[in-house]
Amino acid sequence: MLRDELHISDEELLQAVDGELGTRRAAQVQAHLAACWNCRARVTDIEAAIAGLVRAQRQTNQPKLPSADGPRALLRAELAELARQPAIHSAIHSVIHAWMRRTWINPARLTAISLAVAMSGLFGGLILLHRASHGLNGNTASLERGVLPESNLTPGATRAVSIGEVCSILHEQVVREVSDSVRKQVFEEYGIKNARSEDYEIDYLIAPGLGGTDYIQNLWPQPSWNVKWSSYVKDELEERLHQMVCSGDLDLPTAQREIASDWIAAYKKYFHTEAPPSRIGASVLPDLTQQSAGGNI
Amino acid sequence: MPPYHSISELSFPGTGACTHAAGPSEIECEVMRLFEQFRDPLLRYALSFGICMHDAEEVIQEVFLSLFRHLQLGRSRKNLRGWVFRVTHNLALKQRYANQGSRVRMNADETNMHEQSDPSPNPEEHLSNAQRRQRLLAVVNALGEAEQHCIRLRAEGLRYREIAEVLGISLGSVSVLLARSMERLIRADGR
Repeated sequence: MLRDELHISDEELLQAVDGELGTRRAAQVQAHLAACWNCRARVTDIEAAIAGLVRAQRQTNQPKLPSADGPRALLRAELAELARQPAIHSAIHSVIHAWMRRTWINPARLTAISLAVAMSGLFGGLILLHRASHGLNGNTASLERGVLPESNLTPGATRAVSIGEVCSILHEQVVREVSDSVRKQVFEEYGIKNARSEDYEIDYLIAPGLGGTDYIQNLWPQPSWNVKWSSYVKDELEERLHQMVCSGDLDLPTAQREIASDWIAAYKKYFHTEAPPSRIGASVLPDLTQQSAGGNI
Repeated sequence: MPPYHSISELSFPGTGACTHAAGPSEIECEVMRLFEQFRDPLLRYALSFGICMHDAEEVIQEVFLSLFRHLQLGRSRKNLRGWVFRVTHNLALKQRYANQGSRVRMNADETNMHEQSDPSPNPEEHLSNAQRRQRLLAVVNALGEAEQHCIRLRAEGLRYREIAEVLGISLGSVSVLLARSMERLIRADGR
């Protein structure tokens, strides 16, 4: 990035403009700028590009943002509903909200609901109605604590990878160790304190063998035993998807999308079953930890 | 390195949320204040993932519901601005995954581009400004995804450390990606 040994690099000039340099280095850069016309001209270029970009974005995107009135009213009503529930029920509410998002709400209804909620508190009734009529049956698996990641923390992340690269090595060979600091960070994200190592595996949502990265957005603490949909079950799915991708039965983006969206639904779909075999499901004991295959540590 | 501001150090505009007759809780008030402050920047950021306005609005709703649960469970309050951007990033990414099966990704700046009238005094200047604008936005849209995220987050006022946390990359990477993006913008600007 250095344009000349005698000059400040663009990276540092940008850091200086952004106020990101340490005090001492910032003073050195300022002293250099006072003496160097070349670097000052470069700072002007940077400032001009920033100003141009900000102006361009302001003149294109901003007028398009809709009023916040409807979303504000809806959020206020939903918060009031959540606040009435014990914290543990909030997760159930989020499942309902997600379900409504997928199947029912459109912008016109959203606005109508906002108004109705503001006037009569109808939203709480709607939620109860949904809860009663749907009973959360479609997603009971997600209520088995921790078997599905929280989508706001772990949406999945992929790297650019070719089919050739994915299939040139065995699935098990691309398992990567997650560092202790990342492991700790994942537990903190999920608010898990004093986790016992035998209870959780830091699992890749999209397995490395399917192009998943080790970014924190792709990692979550998955219960390793004592749940029906354990990490061992997910290992089987990863292996199956890897085989299907490499045999041409499934394209890689679809495999990544399905495992990231709801890996349990993907398991049911690709294994044609509603439940995993008991040998790897709830009956798994901690001593099976050594048998863990791809995608986990 | 400049101080790393926590959200509690920032000022909030009044929302009227806490004058509600039913008496919302302190956490509700806090979430509503943050909604007022960050809804537009977060919405713009969510749109940059190429999702439609309706999906982006839903993402933002989920972000603030998640924030409520986060605070309700007594989890960390350190840098909530970075937290809401990170959750927006993750949810928008997830929404894009979900959409990929059914529709082709569209460019956010193209799909949402509705130009404001240009106050330039004459047609030549108007044309020149419009061309420059298009050129700069085209450069941003042609950047790699990580570079685009960096520059959009920086444009929304996030510090390098916050951007690093949102994207899950190192501070050094943020600096390199921003400098690289800036170099391309400067070149496109004919400087």
